[in-house]
Amino acid sequence: MTETTVVLVLVIVTALGFDFTNGFHDTANAMATSIATKALRPRVAVLLSGLLNLVGAFLSVEVALTVTNAVVKIQNANGTPKAELLEGGGSALLLIVLAGLVGGIVWNLLTWLLGLPSSSSHALFGGLAGATIAGLGWAGVNWNGNGTKLDGLVGKVLLPAVMSPVIAAVVAGVGTWLIYKVTIGVVQRFTDNGFRWGQIGSASLVSLAHGTNDAQKTMGVITLALIATGDWTDTTNIPIWVKTACALSIALGTYLGGWRIIRTLGKGLVEIAPPQGLAAESASAAVILVSSHLGFALSTTHVATGSILGSGLGRPGAIVRWPVAGRMVLAWLITLPSAAVVGAIMWWIGHAIGGLAGAIVIFLILLALAAYMYWHSRKSPVDHNNVNDEWGTTPELAEAVR
Amino acid sequence: MVHNLQFALQSAWRVLLAGLLLGAGLPALFALGVRALAWGAGGDAEVREPGAAGAKAQPIGTLLGWACIAVVLLGVALGITYIVASGLGKALSFEHIFPAIVDKK
Repeated sequence: MTETTVVLVLVIVTALGFDFTNGFHDTANAMATSIATKALRPRVAVLLSGLLNLVGAFLSVEVALTVTNAVVKIQNANGTPKAELLEGGGSALLLIVLAGLVGGIVWNLLTWLLGLPSSSSHALFGGLAGATIAGLGWAGVNWNGNGTKLDGLVGKVLLPAVMSPVIAAVVAGVGTWLIYKVTIGVVQRFTDNGFRWGQIGSASLVSLAHGTNDAQKTMGVITLALIATGDWTDTTNIPIWVKTACALSIALGTYLGGWRIIRTLGKGLVEIAPPQGLAAESASAAVILVSSHLGFALSTTHVATGSILGSGLGRPGAIVRWPVAGRMVLAWLITLPSAAVVGAIMWWIGHAIGGLAGAIVIFLILLALAAYMYWHSRKSPVDHNNVNDEWGTTPELAEAVR
Repeated sequence: MVHNLQFALQSAWRVLLAGLLLGAGLPALFALGVRALAWGAGGDAEVREPGAAGAKAQPIGTLLGWACIAVVLLGVALGITYIVASGLGKALSFEHIFPAIVDKK
Protein backbone atom coordinates (compact mmCIF):
# COMPACT_ATOMS: atom_id res chain seq x y z
CA MET A 1 0.00 0.00 0.00
CA THR A 2 1.59 3.26 -1.08
CA GLU A 3 1.28 6.58 0.69
CA THR A 4 -1.11 7.88 -1.97
CA THR A 5 -3.41 4.93 -1.48
CA VAL A 6 -3.69 5.72 2.22
CA VAL A 7 -4.49 9.37 1.40
CA LEU A 8 -7.05 8.18 -1.14
CA VAL A 9 -8.73 6.05 1.52
CA LEU A 10 -8.84 9.07 3.83
CA VAL A 11 -10.44 11.16 1.06
CA ILE A 12 -13.09 8.49 0.44
CA VAL A 13 -13.90 8.10 4.13
CA THR A 14 -14.11 11.89 4.54
CA ALA A 15 -16.31 12.22 1.44
CA LEU A 16 -18.69 9.59 2.79
CA GLY A 17 -18.65 11.42 6.10
CA PHE A 18 -19.64 14.60 4.30
CA ASP A 19 -22.44 12.74 2.53
CA PHE A 20 -23.66 11.53 5.91
CA THR A 21 -23.77 15.08 7.35
CA ASN A 22 -25.46 16.18 4.13
CA GLY A 23 -28.18 13.64 4.87
CA PHE A 24 -28.95 14.53 8.46
CA HIS A 25 -28.53 18.24 7.86
CA ASP A 26 -31.24 18.15 5.20
CA THR A 27 -33.82 15.79 6.70
CA ALA A 28 -35.55 18.93 7.92
CA ASN A 29 -36.02 20.31 4.41
CA ALA A 30 -38.45 17.58 3.55
CA MET A 31 -39.82 16.42 6.86
CA ALA A 32 -39.83 19.33 9.34
CA THR A 33 -43.34 20.44 8.40
CA SER A 34 -44.83 16.93 8.40
CA ILE A 35 -43.33 16.31 11.84
CA ALA A 36 -44.53 19.67 13.20
CA THR A 37 -48.12 19.17 12.04
CA LYS A 38 -48.06 15.54 13.24
CA ALA A 39 -48.91 14.30 9.76
CA LEU A 40 -46.20 11.74 10.40
CA ARG A 41 -44.69 10.50 13.64
CA PRO A 42 -41.06 11.68 13.89
CA ARG A 43 -39.48 8.24 13.53
CA VAL A 44 -41.73 7.32 10.61
CA ALA A 45 -40.93 10.61 8.88
CA VAL A 46 -37.16 10.14 9.01
CA LEU A 47 -37.48 6.50 7.93
CA LEU A 48 -39.60 7.49 4.92
CA SER A 49 -37.25 10.32 4.01
CA GLY A 50 -34.19 8.06 4.39
CA LEU A 51 -35.66 5.38 2.13
CA LEU A 52 -36.63 7.92 -0.53
CA ASN A 53 -33.14 9.43 -0.40
CA LEU A 54 -31.73 5.93 -0.92
CA VAL A 55 -33.98 5.35 -3.92
CA GLY A 56 -33.19 8.81 -5.26
CA ALA A 57 -29.44 8.29 -4.92
CA PHE A 58 -29.60 5.06 -6.89
CA LEU A 59 -31.58 6.83 -9.58
CA SER A 60 -28.62 9.09 -10.32
CA VAL A 61 -27.32 6.90 -13.10
CA GLU A 62 -25.98 9.81 -15.06
CA VAL A 63 -23.65 11.43 -12.57
CA ALA A 64 -21.94 14.67 -13.43
CA LEU A 65 -18.26 14.01 -12.89
CA THR A 66 -17.71 17.69 -13.41
CA VAL A 67 -19.47 18.66 -10.20
CA THR A 68 -16.51 20.75 -8.98
CA ASN A 69 -16.16 22.63 -12.28
CA ALA A 70 -18.88 25.07 -11.34
CA VAL A 71 -16.68 26.57 -8.63
CA VAL A 72 -13.04 25.52 -8.95
CA LYS A 73 -10.63 24.76 -11.73
CA ILE A 74 -9.19 21.41 -10.74
CA GLN A 75 -10.84 19.40 -13.52
CA ASN A 76 -10.86 19.50 -17.30
CA ALA A 77 -14.14 19.83 -19.16
CA ASN A 78 -14.39 16.06 -19.61
CA GLY A 79 -14.09 15.37 -15.89
CA THR A 80 -10.44 14.30 -15.75
CA PRO A 81 -8.25 16.14 -13.25
CA LYS A 82 -5.93 18.90 -14.51
CA ALA A 83 -2.60 17.38 -15.53
CA GLU A 84 -0.49 19.68 -13.35
CA LEU A 85 -2.26 18.38 -10.24
CA LEU A 86 -1.37 14.79 -10.99
CA GLU A 87 2.33 14.87 -10.16
CA GLY A 88 3.26 12.48 -7.39
CA GLY A 89 0.31 10.17 -8.00
CA GLY A 90 -2.31 12.91 -7.73
CA SER A 91 -1.41 13.88 -4.18
CA ALA A 92 -1.81 17.63 -4.89
CA LEU A 93 -5.40 17.10 -5.99
CA LEU A 94 -6.14 14.72 -3.14
CA LEU A 95 -4.99 17.26 -0.57
CA ILE A 96 -7.22 19.99 -2.04
CA VAL A 97 -10.23 17.67 -2.07
CA LEU A 98 -9.54 16.36 1.44
CA ALA A 99 -9.09 19.85 2.91
CA GLY A 100 -12.23 21.05 1.12
CA LEU A 101 -14.32 18.17 2.44
CA VAL A 102 -13.07 18.76 5.97
CA GLY A 103 -14.12 22.42 5.64
CA GLY A 104 -17.59 21.34 4.51
CA ILE A 105 -18.09 18.82 7.31
CA VAL A 106 -16.86 21.13 10.08
CA TRP A 107 -19.24 23.88 9.00
CA ASN A 108 -22.15 21.45 8.62
CA LEU A 109 -21.59 20.13 12.13
CA LEU A 110 -21.28 23.58 13.66
CA THR A 111 -24.53 24.84 12.12
CA TRP A 112 -26.23 21.60 13.16
CA LEU A 113 -25.03 22.19 16.72
CA LEU A 114 -26.65 25.63 16.58
CA GLY A 115 -29.80 24.19 14.99
CA LEU A 116 -29.42 26.34 11.88
CA PRO A 117 -30.45 25.04 8.47
CA SER A 118 -27.49 26.08 6.32
CA SER A 119 -26.86 24.75 2.85
CA SER A 120 -24.77 21.58 2.57
CA SER A 121 -23.86 22.36 -1.03
CA HIS A 122 -22.58 25.80 0.02
CA ALA A 123 -20.50 24.11 2.71
CA LEU A 124 -19.02 21.69 0.16
CA PHE A 125 -18.38 24.32 -2.51
CA GLY A 126 -17.05 26.75 0.08
CA GLY A 127 -14.64 24.18 1.47
CA LEU A 128 -13.41 23.23 -2.00
CA ALA A 129 -13.05 26.87 -3.05
CA GLY A 130 -11.06 27.69 0.10
CA ALA A 131 -8.73 24.72 -0.30
CA THR A 132 -8.26 25.61 -3.97
CA ILE A 133 -7.43 29.25 -3.20
CA ALA A 134 -4.89 28.07 -0.64
CA GLY A 135 -3.42 25.54 -3.05
CA LEU A 136 -3.60 27.27 -6.43
CA GLY A 137 -4.26 30.91 -5.66
CA TRP A 138 -7.26 33.12 -6.47
CA ALA A 139 -7.14 32.18 -10.14
CA GLY A 140 -7.95 28.58 -9.21
CA VAL A 141 -11.53 29.54 -8.51
CA ASN A 142 -14.05 29.72 -11.32
CA TRP A 143 -15.64 33.03 -10.29
CA ASN A 144 -17.86 33.92 -13.22
CA GLY A 145 -17.54 31.30 -15.93
CA ASN A 146 -16.88 32.52 -19.46
CA GLY A 147 -19.95 34.70 -19.88
CA THR A 148 -21.84 32.42 -22.25
CA LYS A 149 -24.03 30.76 -19.66
CA LEU A 150 -24.86 30.81 -15.98
CA ASP A 151 -21.61 29.54 -14.48
CA GLY A 152 -18.97 29.97 -11.84
CA LEU A 153 -19.16 30.59 -8.12
CA VAL A 154 -21.25 33.71 -8.70
CA GLY A 155 -23.62 32.25 -11.27
CA LYS A 156 -24.04 28.71 -9.94
CA VAL A 157 -23.91 29.37 -6.23
CA LEU A 158 -24.24 32.97 -5.07
CA LEU A 159 -26.99 34.38 -7.30
CA PRO A 160 -29.29 31.34 -7.00
CA ALA A 161 -28.74 31.46 -3.25
CA VAL A 162 -30.11 34.99 -3.11
CA MET A 163 -32.98 34.38 -5.50
CA SER A 164 -34.24 30.89 -4.68
CA PRO A 165 -35.52 31.56 -1.14
CA VAL A 166 -37.41 34.61 -2.39
CA ILE A 167 -39.00 32.64 -5.23
CA ALA A 168 -39.91 29.78 -2.88
CA ALA A 169 -41.36 32.21 -0.34
CA VAL A 170 -43.56 33.88 -2.97
CA VAL A 171 -44.82 30.54 -4.30
CA ALA A 172 -45.54 29.15 -0.83
CA GLY A 173 -47.12 32.44 0.27
CA VAL A 174 -49.50 32.52 -2.67
CA GLY A 175 -50.26 28.80 -2.20
CA THR A 176 -51.05 29.26 1.49
CA TRP A 177 -53.24 32.26 0.85
CA LEU A 178 -55.20 30.41 -1.86
CA ILE A 179 -55.66 27.31 0.28
CA TYR A 180 -57.07 29.30 3.19
CA LYS A 181 -59.36 31.26 0.84
CA VAL A 182 -60.66 28.13 -0.84
CA THR A 183 -61.41 26.23 2.34
CA ILE A 184 -63.27 28.94 4.23
CA GLY A 185 -66.42 27.36 5.62
CA VAL A 186 -65.04 23.85 5.86
CA VAL A 187 -64.57 22.42 9.34
CA GLN A 188 -60.92 22.37 10.34
CA ARG A 189 -60.89 18.71 11.35
CA PHE A 190 -62.00 17.83 7.83
CA THR A 191 -59.43 19.98 6.03
CA ASP A 192 -56.57 18.99 8.32
CA ASN A 193 -57.08 15.33 7.52
CA GLY A 194 -56.99 15.98 3.79
CA PHE A 195 -54.01 18.31 3.97
CA ARG A 196 -51.96 15.91 6.05
CA TRP A 197 -52.10 13.44 3.17
CA GLY A 198 -51.14 16.13 0.69
CA GLN A 199 -48.25 17.06 2.93
CA ILE A 200 -46.90 13.52 3.11
CA GLY A 201 -47.03 13.27 -0.68
CA SER A 202 -45.27 16.55 -1.37
CA ALA A 203 -42.66 15.96 1.36
CA SER A 204 -41.88 12.58 -0.18
CA LEU A 205 -41.28 14.27 -3.51
CA VAL A 206 -38.80 16.65 -1.88
CA SER A 207 -36.95 13.71 -0.28
CA LEU A 208 -36.68 11.88 -3.58
CA ALA A 209 -35.41 14.96 -5.40
CA HIS A 210 -32.90 15.53 -2.60
CA GLY A 211 -31.50 12.01 -2.98
CA THR A 212 -30.94 12.44 -6.71
CA ASN A 213 -29.42 15.91 -6.39
CA ASP A 214 -27.17 15.76 -3.36
CA ALA A 215 -25.85 12.21 -3.28
CA GLN A 216 -24.31 12.57 -6.70
CA LYS A 217 -22.13 15.49 -5.65
CA THR A 218 -20.20 13.18 -3.33
CA MET A 219 -20.18 10.44 -5.96
CA GLY A 220 -18.53 12.88 -8.35
CA VAL A 221 -15.93 13.98 -5.79
CA ILE A 222 -14.93 10.40 -4.89
CA THR A 223 -14.68 9.40 -8.53
CA LEU A 224 -12.52 12.46 -9.21
CA ALA A 225 -10.13 11.31 -6.48
CA LEU A 226 -10.06 7.78 -7.93
CA ILE A 227 -9.22 9.14 -11.37
CA ALA A 228 -6.47 11.34 -9.92
CA THR A 229 -4.69 8.32 -8.44
CA GLY A 230 -5.21 6.25 -11.56
CA ASP A 231 -7.56 3.78 -9.87
CA TRP A 232 -10.38 4.57 -12.27
CA THR A 233 -10.22 5.80 -15.86
CA ASP A 234 -13.78 5.83 -17.18
CA THR A 235 -15.08 9.41 -17.26
CA THR A 236 -18.61 8.48 -18.30
CA ASN A 237 -19.42 6.07 -15.47
CA ILE A 238 -18.75 5.82 -11.78
CA PRO A 239 -17.83 2.63 -9.90
CA ILE A 240 -20.87 0.84 -8.56
CA TRP A 241 -19.40 0.59 -5.06
CA VAL A 242 -19.04 4.39 -4.98
CA LYS A 243 -22.68 4.80 -5.83
CA THR A 244 -23.77 2.22 -3.26
CA ALA A 245 -21.60 3.69 -0.51
CA CYS A 246 -22.82 7.24 -1.18
CA ALA A 247 -26.46 6.20 -1.38
CA LEU A 248 -26.24 4.30 1.90
CA SER A 249 -24.41 7.06 3.68
CA ILE A 250 -26.80 9.87 2.70
CA ALA A 251 -29.79 7.63 3.52
CA LEU A 252 -28.35 6.66 6.88
CA GLY A 253 -27.65 10.31 7.67
CA THR A 254 -31.20 11.25 6.73
CA TYR A 255 -32.60 8.45 8.86
CA LEU A 256 -30.55 9.55 11.85
CA GLY A 257 -32.30 12.89 11.46
CA GLY A 258 -30.87 16.28 12.29
CA TRP A 259 -33.43 16.81 15.04
CA ARG A 260 -32.02 20.18 16.07
CA ILE A 261 -32.58 21.57 12.59
CA ILE A 262 -35.95 19.84 12.21
CA ARG A 263 -37.03 21.60 15.39
CA THR A 264 -35.92 25.02 14.16
CA LEU A 265 -37.60 24.65 10.78
CA GLY A 266 -40.75 22.91 12.01
CA LYS A 267 -41.43 24.77 15.24
CA GLY A 268 -39.07 27.74 15.42
CA LEU A 269 -39.58 29.71 12.25
CA VAL A 270 -43.35 29.58 11.80
CA GLU A 271 -46.15 27.88 13.74
CA ILE A 272 -47.21 25.52 10.98
CA ALA A 273 -50.74 24.20 10.43
CA PRO A 274 -51.42 21.38 7.93
CA PRO A 275 -52.57 23.70 5.10
CA GLN A 276 -49.34 25.69 5.45
CA GLY A 277 -47.31 22.49 5.51
CA LEU A 278 -48.90 21.37 2.27
CA ALA A 279 -48.26 24.74 0.62
CA ALA A 280 -44.66 24.86 1.83
CA GLU A 281 -43.71 21.37 0.69
CA SER A 282 -45.50 21.73 -2.66
CA ALA A 283 -43.68 25.01 -3.27
CA SER A 284 -40.35 23.40 -2.37
CA ALA A 285 -40.94 20.40 -4.61
CA ALA A 286 -42.09 22.55 -7.53
CA VAL A 287 -39.26 25.08 -7.26
CA ILE A 288 -36.56 22.39 -6.87
CA LEU A 289 -37.80 20.34 -9.81
CA VAL A 290 -38.41 23.29 -12.12
CA SER A 291 -35.00 24.81 -11.38
CA SER A 292 -33.11 21.59 -11.94
CA HIS A 293 -35.04 21.25 -15.20
CA LEU A 294 -33.79 24.70 -16.23
CA GLY A 295 -30.25 24.11 -14.98
CA PHE A 296 -30.61 26.75 -12.29
CA ALA A 297 -28.57 25.16 -9.51
CA LEU A 298 -29.90 25.82 -6.05
CA SER A 299 -29.77 24.65 -2.50
CA THR A 300 -32.62 22.49 -1.20
CA THR A 301 -32.13 24.12 2.19
CA HIS A 302 -32.63 27.66 0.93
CA VAL A 303 -35.75 26.66 -0.97
CA ALA A 304 -37.27 24.75 1.95
CA THR A 305 -36.61 27.58 4.39
CA GLY A 306 -37.99 30.17 1.99
CA SER A 307 -41.11 28.06 1.49
CA ILE A 308 -41.77 27.66 5.19
CA LEU A 309 -41.29 31.39 5.72
CA GLY A 310 -43.66 32.06 2.81
CA SER A 311 -46.30 29.78 4.32
CA GLY A 312 -46.18 32.00 7.40
CA LEU A 313 -46.48 35.19 5.37
CA GLY A 314 -49.41 33.88 3.31
CA ARG A 315 -51.60 33.11 6.29
CA PRO A 316 -53.04 36.21 7.90
CA GLY A 317 -52.27 36.26 11.60
CA ALA A 318 -49.65 33.48 11.48
CA ILE A 319 -46.73 33.66 13.87
CA VAL A 320 -43.40 34.25 12.11
CA ARG A 321 -40.35 34.50 14.36
CA TRP A 322 -38.19 37.05 12.60
CA PRO A 323 -35.20 36.76 14.94
CA VAL A 324 -34.94 33.08 13.98
CA ALA A 325 -35.26 33.97 10.30
CA GLY A 326 -32.58 36.62 10.68
CA ARG A 327 -30.14 34.18 12.22
CA MET A 328 -30.78 31.75 9.41
CA VAL A 329 -30.05 34.34 6.77
CA LEU A 330 -26.87 35.25 8.62
CA ALA A 331 -25.87 31.58 8.62
CA TRP A 332 -26.45 31.41 4.86
CA LEU A 333 -24.32 34.46 4.24
CA ILE A 334 -21.36 33.16 6.18
CA THR A 335 -21.57 29.47 5.22
CA LEU A 336 -19.57 29.74 2.02
CA PRO A 337 -16.76 31.98 3.31
CA SER A 338 -16.55 30.14 6.64
CA ALA A 339 -16.28 26.71 5.03
CA ALA A 340 -13.72 28.26 2.67
CA VAL A 341 -11.62 29.52 5.57
CA VAL A 342 -11.66 26.10 7.26
CA GLY A 343 -10.82 24.44 3.92
CA ALA A 344 -7.91 26.84 3.36
CA ILE A 345 -6.50 26.40 6.87
CA MET A 346 -6.71 22.63 6.53
CA TRP A 347 -4.84 22.80 3.22
CA TRP A 348 -2.09 24.94 4.74
CA ILE A 349 -1.69 22.58 7.69
CA GLY A 350 -1.69 19.55 5.42
CA HIS A 351 0.74 21.17 3.01
CA ALA A 352 3.11 22.42 5.68
CA ILE A 353 3.44 18.96 7.20
CA GLY A 354 3.34 17.38 3.78
CA GLY A 355 2.63 13.96 2.34
CA LEU A 356 0.83 11.23 4.19
CA ALA A 357 1.49 12.74 7.60
CA GLY A 358 -0.19 16.01 6.53
CA ALA A 359 -3.30 14.21 5.33
CA ILE A 360 -3.49 12.15 8.50
CA VAL A 361 -3.12 15.24 10.69
CA ILE A 362 -6.02 17.10 9.07
CA PHE A 363 -8.12 13.95 9.23
CA LEU A 364 -7.40 13.73 12.95
CA ILE A 365 -8.26 17.42 13.39
CA LEU A 366 -11.60 16.68 11.72
CA LEU A 367 -12.25 13.76 14.07
CA ALA A 368 -11.35 15.86 17.10
CA LEU A 369 -13.62 18.75 16.07
CA ALA A 370 -16.48 16.38 15.24
CA ALA A 371 -16.13 14.62 18.59
CA TYR A 372 -16.05 17.95 20.42
CA MET A 373 -19.21 19.19 18.71
CA TYR A 374 -21.00 15.90 19.33
CA TRP A 375 -20.03 16.05 22.99
CA HIS A 376 -21.27 19.64 23.15
CA SER A 377 -24.61 18.64 21.57
CA ARG A 378 -25.23 16.09 24.32
CA LYS A 379 -25.54 18.91 26.84
CA SER A 380 -28.85 19.94 25.31
CA PRO A 381 -29.99 16.95 23.26
CA VAL A 382 -32.83 17.27 20.77
CA ASP A 383 -34.31 14.01 19.50
CA HIS A 384 -37.57 12.49 18.32
CA ASN A 385 -39.02 12.80 21.83
CA ASN A 386 -38.73 16.55 22.28
CA VAL A 387 -38.53 17.78 18.69
CA ASN A 388 -42.12 19.01 18.79
CA ASP A 389 -42.09 20.64 22.22
CA GLU A 390 -43.60 24.11 22.45
CA TRP A 391 -41.09 26.66 21.11
CA GLY A 392 -39.50 28.84 23.77
CA THR A 393 -40.17 26.65 26.82
CA THR A 394 -36.45 25.90 27.00
CA PRO A 395 -33.67 28.24 25.86
CA GLU A 396 -33.65 27.83 22.10
CA LEU A 397 -30.43 27.19 20.24
CA ALA A 398 -31.51 28.99 17.13
CA GLU A 399 -32.31 32.15 19.06
CA ALA A 400 -29.45 32.63 21.48
CA VAL A 401 -25.72 32.36 21.01
CA ARG A 402 -24.20 30.18 23.66
CA MET B 1 -20.79 39.16 -13.38
CA VAL B 2 -23.24 41.20 -15.45
CA HIS B 3 -23.79 38.26 -17.80
CA ASN B 4 -24.40 35.97 -14.90
CA LEU B 5 -26.89 38.37 -13.36
CA GLN B 6 -28.84 38.49 -16.62
CA PHE B 7 -28.83 34.71 -17.00
CA ALA B 8 -29.85 34.26 -13.39
CA LEU B 9 -32.73 36.75 -13.66
CA GLN B 10 -33.96 35.06 -16.83
CA SER B 11 -33.97 31.66 -15.13
CA ALA B 12 -35.41 33.02 -11.91
CA TRP B 13 -38.34 34.51 -13.72
CA ARG B 14 -39.20 31.21 -15.39
CA VAL B 15 -38.75 29.29 -12.15
CA LEU B 16 -41.13 31.71 -10.46
CA LEU B 17 -43.85 31.34 -13.12
CA ALA B 18 -43.63 27.56 -13.34
CA GLY B 19 -43.29 27.38 -9.56
CA LEU B 20 -46.47 29.40 -9.07
CA LEU B 21 -48.37 27.24 -11.54
CA LEU B 22 -47.26 23.92 -10.04
CA GLY B 23 -46.26 24.82 -6.50
CA ALA B 24 -49.21 27.08 -5.67
CA GLY B 25 -51.74 26.04 -8.32
CA LEU B 26 -51.75 22.33 -7.56
CA PRO B 27 -52.15 22.77 -3.78
CA ALA B 28 -54.95 25.27 -4.42
CA LEU B 29 -56.62 22.68 -6.62
CA PHE B 30 -56.11 20.13 -3.87
CA ALA B 31 -57.80 22.54 -1.47
CA LEU B 32 -60.66 22.90 -3.92
CA GLY B 33 -60.92 19.12 -3.97
CA VAL B 34 -61.06 18.99 -0.16
CA ARG B 35 -63.74 21.67 -0.18
CA ALA B 36 -65.81 19.78 -2.75
CA LEU B 37 -65.45 16.62 -0.67
CA ALA B 38 -66.71 18.50 2.38
CA TRP B 39 -69.67 19.76 0.39
CA GLY B 40 -70.23 16.22 -0.82
CA ALA B 41 -70.08 14.78 2.66
CA GLY B 42 -72.41 17.37 4.14
CA GLY B 43 -73.33 17.10 7.83
CA ASP B 44 -70.47 17.98 10.13
CA ALA B 45 -67.90 18.66 7.42
CA GLU B 46 -68.94 22.27 6.86
CA VAL B 47 -69.18 25.15 9.32
CA ARG B 48 -72.80 26.01 10.20
CA GLU B 49 -74.78 28.18 12.58
CA PRO B 50 -75.16 26.67 16.05
CA GLY B 51 -78.37 24.67 16.12
CA ALA B 52 -78.82 24.64 12.36
CA ALA B 53 -79.18 21.27 10.68
CA GLY B 54 -76.17 19.92 8.75
CA ALA B 55 -76.24 20.25 4.98
CA LYS B 56 -77.46 17.31 2.94
CA ALA B 57 -74.83 15.06 1.39
CA GLN B 58 -74.13 15.95 -2.26
CA PRO B 59 -72.76 13.01 -4.27
CA ILE B 60 -71.73 15.38 -7.07
CA GLY B 61 -69.44 17.16 -4.61
CA THR B 62 -67.69 13.92 -3.78
CA LEU B 63 -67.21 13.27 -7.49
CA LEU B 64 -65.86 16.78 -8.15
CA GLY B 65 -63.58 16.50 -5.14
CA TRP B 66 -61.97 13.29 -6.32
CA ALA B 67 -61.64 14.73 -9.83
CA CYS B 68 -59.61 17.66 -8.48
CA ILE B 69 -57.43 15.34 -6.41
CA ALA B 70 -56.90 13.11 -9.44
CA VAL B 71 -55.51 16.09 -11.39
CA VAL B 72 -53.16 16.87 -8.51
CA LEU B 73 -52.01 13.24 -8.44
CA LEU B 74 -51.29 13.47 -12.16
CA GLY B 75 -49.11 16.50 -11.46
CA VAL B 76 -47.23 14.56 -8.77
CA ALA B 77 -46.81 11.61 -11.16
CA LEU B 78 -45.29 14.04 -13.65
CA GLY B 79 -42.86 15.23 -10.99
CA ILE B 80 -41.78 11.67 -10.16
CA THR B 81 -41.42 10.85 -13.86
CA TYR B 82 -39.17 13.87 -14.22
CA ILE B 83 -36.93 12.82 -11.32
CA VAL B 84 -36.65 9.24 -12.56
CA ALA B 85 -36.14 10.23 -16.19
CA SER B 86 -33.38 12.74 -15.47
CA GLY B 87 -31.71 10.25 -13.12
CA LEU B 88 -31.57 7.75 -15.95
CA GLY B 89 -30.11 10.29 -18.36
CA LYS B 90 -33.38 11.04 -20.11
CA ALA B 91 -35.27 14.30 -20.21
CA LEU B 92 -38.92 15.21 -19.99
CA SER B 93 -40.01 17.10 -23.07
CA PHE B 94 -43.05 19.36 -23.32
CA GLU B 95 -42.45 20.05 -26.98
CA HIS B 96 -45.77 18.56 -28.02
CA ILE B 97 -47.55 19.87 -24.92
CA PHE B 98 -48.08 16.34 -23.69
CA PRO B 99 -45.03 15.29 -21.65
CA ALA B 100 -42.83 12.72 -23.30
CA ILE B 101 -39.58 11.07 -22.22
CA VAL B 102 -36.79 11.74 -24.69
CA ASP B 103 -33.02 11.35 -24.78
CA LYS B 104 -31.09 14.20 -23.28
CA LYS B 105 -29.76 16.65 -25.83
